[in-house]
Amino acid sequence: MLDAFSRAVVSADAKGAPIGSSDLVALRKYVSDANKRIDATLAITQNVSCIAADAIAGMVCENTGMTQPGGNCYPTRRMAACLRDGEIILRYVSYALLAGDASVLDDRCLNGLKETYMALGVPIANAVRAIEIMKIATVAIMTETNSGRKMFEGINSGSGSQCKEIAAEAASYFDRVISAIS
Amino acid sequence: MKSAVTTVVIAADAAGRFPSISDIESVKGSLDRASARFAAAEKLAAGIDKVTEDAVDAVYKNGIYDQANKDKCARDIHHYLRLINYCLVTGGTGPLDEWGIAGMREVIRAQQLPTAAYIEAFSHIRDRVCIPRDMDQQAATEFKGLIDYLINALA
Repeated sequence: MLDAFSRAVVSADAKGAPIGSSDLVALRKYVSDANKRIDATLAITQNVSCIAADAIAGMVCENTGMTQPGGNCYPTRRMAACLRDGEIILRYVSYALLAGDASVLDDRCLNGLKETYMALGVPIANAVRAIEIMKIATVAIMTETNSGRKMFEGINSGSGSQCKEIAAEAASYFDRVISAIS
Repeated sequence: MKSAVTTVVIAADAAGRFPSISDIESVKGSLDRASARFAAAEKLAAGIDKVTEDAVDAVYKNGIYDQANKDKCARDIHHYLRLINYCLVTGGTGPLDEWGIAGMREVIRAQQLPTAAYIEAFSHIRDRVCIPRDMDQQAATEFKGLIDYLINALA
């Protein structure tokens, strides 16, 4: 796996050139925005079960047949598997966000995920919907547009509006998950 | 590849947990030193050809080593300095370990090049870094640390 730094190294090595001032601009931005990145990562890790449970509940509410006999979330064992998968995807998104690079998500989570879901008979359209809800919830928490407790409440520095850029990056990782399984 | 964030993420993934506060602390600690490392990387990238030439000239002017090897030595020193530049960027020794140290000594020996000349050249580069003309104290510490790491691996 790579992060923002080793990604720059791999592409510089392909050219056989050292990393100079022009290549360092993006990396310096990563360093100067490190606190936002860390807050955004914490926004996921501190709200994992809330984000995952809400997303799965939302998916089921839109398709109530899923928890009925014959549905894909019946019995509870399959519902539990669904919640677990939501958390796993959130975990890899949090890794990718901290690293500033999608390679960990691609290599360790998305590679073969679609084939696994198809083999297990997971309804892809519903899974996509659950990931969409997780994306919306994560972005809302990071930008403090959620209802309920705000991320920077009681903290002197930082605000949700300053995290718009990093929230957009997080959203792009969820989009990556969606396009990988659909 | 081993770098500031990847080591932490790989460890977290092996345990199947989310990045913890201590993981994030360790990333933050590495990023706090990043500006010094980037400054060193920038200076090294700008002067890499000159530094190489200077070190190789200093080592080969003594007449101890076969002059025929000078060009090969310059090529390798340049290569190593480039890897040190990468290490300064990543904040770990990943690039040197993976591309510069694993098997490299054997390759140098196989080509019948003297490793002693390499070590001498790197010592020369390390000792010639002037503070603050070339880079500031922090940047020089990071740079010299990596050169020492490489010298130990070659010796």
